[in-house]
Amino acid sequence: MKTAAPRHHVIVGSGVAGAQAARTLRAREPEARISMLTLASLPFYNRYDLPQVFRGRQDWHQFLVDPPEYYTENRIELRRCTQVANVDSQRKVITLGHNEEMHYDTLVVASGGRSYLPEELSEFRHLLDGFGSYEQAMVVRRKVPEGGTVMLLGGDMIGLDLARTLLDTGHKVVLVTDEHTFWPHQVTDDEKKELLTVLERMGVEIIAGDCEGGIDAIQEGAKGLPARRVIFGGGRDRYADVIMPFYGLHPSVEFMLGSGVDIERGLLVKKSLRTTNDAIWAAGDVCQIWSDEEKRYRFYYGWKNVRAMGELAARNITGEDEAFEPTQDESLHIHDGVTIHSPFWEYA
Amino acid sequence: MKTDIQIAICGSAGEGTIAAGDILRNALAGAGYRVISFDAYPAEIRGFGKCVARLRVTTEQAYSLKEKSDVLVCLNDEHGIPHVGEVRDFGAVIYEAKSIVHLAEGSHVSGHIRPAQVPYPLAIRELSERATGAIRSRNMVVLGYIAGLFHLAKEPFEKIINTKFKGKGKAAEDNHKAFDAGYETGAATFKLDDVNFGPPGKGLQAVMLNGNAAVAKGCLDAGIDNFFGYPITPATTIMERLAVEMPKRGKRLLQTEDEIAAISTTIGAGYTGARSATATSGPGLALMSEMLGLGIMAEVPSVVFVSQRGGPSTGIPTKTEQSDLNIAIYGGHGDAPRIVLAPTNVEGCYRCAGKAFEMAERYQTPVIVLLDLYLSNRYETVVMPAKPPFEPNCDKPVPKGDLGAGYKRFGFTEDDVSPRALPGMAGGMHVVTGLEHNELGRVNEQPEMHEAMSRKRHDKLKAALQHPDFTHYKRFGDEGRVDVGILAWGSTVGECLEVMFLAHLEGIACAVMKVVMLSPFPTEAVAAFMDDCDAVLVPELNYQGQFAHLIQAETGRPVHRYNRVTGTPMRVEDIMAQVRRLAKTATRKAA
Repeated sequence: MKTAAPRHHVIVGSGVAGAQAARTLRAREPEARISMLTLASLPFYNRYDLPQVFRGRQDWHQFLVDPPEYYTENRIELRRCTQVANVDSQRKVITLGHNEEMHYDTLVVASGGRSYLPEELSEFRHLLDGFGSYEQAMVVRRKVPEGGTVMLLGGDMIGLDLARTLLDTGHKVVLVTDEHTFWPHQVTDDEKKELLTVLERMGVEIIAGDCEGGIDAIQEGAKGLPARRVIFGGGRDRYADVIMPFYGLHPSVEFMLGSGVDIERGLLVKKSLRTTNDAIWAAGDVCQIWSDEEKRYRFYYGWKNVRAMGELAARNITGEDEAFEPTQDESLHIHDGVTIHSPFWEYA
Repeated sequence: MKTDIQIAICGSAGEGTIAAGDILRNALAGAGYRVISFDAYPAEIRGFGKCVARLRVTTEQAYSLKEKSDVLVCLNDEHGIPHVGEVRDFGAVIYEAKSIVHLAEGSHVSGHIRPAQVPYPLAIRELSERATGAIRSRNMVVLGYIAGLFHLAKEPFEKIINTKFKGKGKAAEDNHKAFDAGYETGAATFKLDDVNFGPPGKGLQAVMLNGNAAVAKGCLDAGIDNFFGYPITPATTIMERLAVEMPKRGKRLLQTEDEIAAISTTIGAGYTGARSATATSGPGLALMSEMLGLGIMAEVPSVVFVSQRGGPSTGIPTKTEQSDLNIAIYGGHGDAPRIVLAPTNVEGCYRCAGKAFEMAERYQTPVIVLLDLYLSNRYETVVMPAKPPFEPNCDKPVPKGDLGAGYKRFGFTEDDVSPRALPGMAGGMHVVTGLEHNELGRVNEQPEMHEAMSRKRHDKLKAALQHPDFTHYKRFGDEGRVDVGILAWGSTVGECLEVMFLAHLEGIACAVMKVVMLSPFPTEAVAAFMDDCDAVLVPELNYQGQFAHLIQAETGRPVHRYNRVTGTPMRVEDIMAQVRRLAKTATRKAA
């Protein structure tokens, strides 16, 4: 009897969604070949823990969710520092950035999102620091002196999570607000005002970006002063050791352009997480899922949602027909009037 | 902080892999580190085959390359992929990030890097092109990247690049630019591996030499007068070095038409009293064997350096092997005793080379110095003696009264070495022939004379076992009774010493004896060592176990053989596996 060759499942991305998809695929299809492609230098690690670099946890091994041998034992071919250049869905072939072609039977796009930077700030990119990877976190850690000042632009919940740790560890935090503050939470103006008051009580210095005329320029600091200077449109300036943009995430889907899969901002998927191509699935921050309630495609964030998506995509690839049901609380809470708490800061 | 880092650079012939390794080892040695390195390359000159330059950089003395590298640089995917597995966990793999050709699935290095290894994709080609307008300086880009990534000082590299490309104008300029481009990229790269260079050792006034260069230096320091040779891998660079240095000192070097001419002229020059040598490999030694017999019969001093390679016939000429021991000791017709020395490291190459001239003169015989490709091409940092440790003249002069009509060039003496008159010496006229002869040198085929002369030619060499200021053999490691003793010769000794250290860590009582003088054989010392060992292991790079045969023939005792003929140096882990196995057996027996 002729036996079908094991399928090759390729997962683009090694974050929460990608890792969960790989784990579930391996459990449900032991013979399958599983490849995981990621731009990251490290195997799957916990980005939620990155603020811990300010509490002395600086060895990257301590951030790994699974030890390196997990991948070998589970026959998950992990390709790090690997960019996907494009996807030919007709031939079911991926071209990698270094010009290697890879065939797939099913493709799970879990490439997540990268920090969004407003166009007007792009010319100052070289003076800004990110916090999206272990390497970036360590660079920031090395740049910020004891008691130094970190300026957060925008102030999404990733940035505010870092702000909590910075304050706890004796640093100063300056928040320049705009419409991205508290992203991805959707808050009313009144709620925002109240939340900012709480942040001030926590020790965050608030600068209302709009009131100051927006950011006019970012420069290197003068000798003897902190390393960076922000000049606002109204003429005011403020120095900081590090300036970090936190304007939410932008889905990483460039390599899917031309693949034939429908894209709005992210990959558009049905509730099963299948894209408009039968062999391509998506999970995590990269996909927009149809919401019957809201009658639109929307993103779902947070560890629980993203992990559930990774699992669901893998289950449906391996024979199930289930629909995504969000499980994450999306509301922002104020505790006792002195601290805020976001469910997006939680992880299992 | 101690430093013990092994770097491997892998590429295709013609990509500058070996040159990169050369600059790297010289720069690191110049910075004050100890370096031991070995290059593997194909027989083809360009465009085919794999080149691998490996170097181990330490602050403490090391004896061999390590099993696992800490850093691998892949200049070529096809050749690099098989070596990715050699990199230890949390070591670094540096590779070309962009290919200009379409690659089939699985044919890029990135697909073979284990999760525990740290990948460093580098746009090598692009950086070279951007810095110099061409891609040929890729090797300099990776050197710069290594220096930048591991926070190594630039100056030693710049110095070596200046020296290597002196007078080459744009090439020198381009290589500096490419190095700088790589350096900046490396310095800006976030380092995730755990490979860290500590400060180099202080006050190490060492030079970087490979085995063949050390032989050449030993020849020069011993006062070589003439060298005759015919090129052959891996011995050629001995002649190349001497060709540069000997004319400066008023000495003579001639490239002969073949190996037979080379040994003939060497013996001829030796007959005149000049210190003379030749260098070859196994195939050349085979051609020389008849004339070596003449040297033995005529009792003429000469030195033959033999660097072994994989055989028989043309074999694997750019790969290492220890399979010419038999021909070195026994090769040729008749009872033809000769002195055979086998250095075990680069410094030993220097000492054996110089001492070979002393012994050739003192015992009036050809001396073979047996290297192999691994040792010939292996670079080590060596601390040279302040002044050459060699006697300039070891000839046994003829007492004045003995000269004249009755001068006995081959006279029987107490030590069996006859006073030697040189051509032109008044009263020293004598006959020299390949035929059996009497004390005067005249042909004599009488049974008694042949027996007496055969004994003389054999017995005079016994004194070589006490030749002064020379390490004939040496025991390392545990004193007294041991679980496993390793008897080793030649280039394999370094690996055996590393094995011994590992064995000690595992609680195995282990000792190593290196044997440098293989003929005449130090039977008593070797037998005494074997007495101390519950088991004796003889690792060597030949199929037959030629050294094991020799030991068994000389001592009449059994040994455990471990033979490999892969064309590559012995692997520490492989020998260690044998030691573990034998140690268990010894323990069981004791129980």
